[in-house]
Amino acid sequence: MEKMGFGNVTSTSKTMKIIDTEKKISVLIVEDDLLIQKIHKVMMTKFGTEVQLAANGKEVVDLFLSGASFDLILTDLEMPIMDGIEATKKLRSMGVTSMIVGVTSRNQDSEIQAFMKSGLNACYVKPLNAEKVTVVLNELKNI
Amino acid sequence: MDRNKQHRQVALMRQSLFDQGLLDEQFVQLEELQDDANPNFVEEVVTLFYRDSARLILNIDQALDKSPLDFAKLDSYMHQFKGSASSIGAKKVKSECTLFREYCKAGNGEGCKRTFQQLKKEYALLRKKLESYFQLARQVGPVETACRRI
Repeated sequence: MEKMGFGNVTSTSKTMKIIDTEKKISVLIVEDDLLIQKIHKVMMTKFGTEVQLAANGKEVVDLFLSGASFDLILTDLEMPIMDGIEATKKLRSMGVTSMIVGVTSRNQDSEIQAFMKSGLNACYVKPLNAEKVTVVLNELKNI
Repeated sequence: MDRNKQHRQVALMRQSLFDQGLLDEQFVQLEELQDDANPNFVEEVVTLFYRDSARLILNIDQALDKSPLDFAKLDSYMHQFKGSASSIGAKKVKSECTLFREYCKAGNGEGCKRTFQQLKKEYALLRKKLESYFQLARQVGPVETACRRI
């Protein structure tokens, strides 16, 4: 399975917030692998977004607890300390309504579905490419 | 050698990496991310891949020396390796990773060992060719337009 999502969101997701189209889209990339971090950061920057990085799910939760917010969160599944499933569930329980897109190297249906159930809007198999990013950003701009 | 000939040589060397099945479309995606803000992006990413690969090859070598084999651990290492290889478009390396994981799932230790030897050969070949390519590309300097044919 290469991609899932942008259909019905899970019951734990709330309505998306309105994005101000005049300011840059803010993106949080959650990824522990430095190689993937670098690729995704440059890719998202090239698409004109403002990028911040987090190395695991706990860093993401801490960021939101400190008052940070992002239009889009791109999160890996397997990370140390707190993985993508746990982090997504936590964010949704905190009332975070940002678009959360999973990006994982796991490609079994069951694994992706489990990730989606945590509260993702969509999930893609790594690596991200221009086509996938375009779909995500168009989806974000259309809400 | 005049500049145009040098650029053609770089282009041919690059094209051969795709023609020989060593690289796939993901490498082109990386090239398209390289610009004035990130002039050495591709080589930096590939260097990170070499670093990841060295660590994983060592881990897998050590794990394959153990008895009995821990297939779950081997599969986990190879999952990481496959992820890295996919990220730079290392097509043949990625294929060997997939095959290795199939042997892991089947609990076939000999298959794992055989495939890993092949994987290391493919990795060494890719690394050698990429190093030659980047060295020549650096000597020749950037071209004005990207050459996208693959």
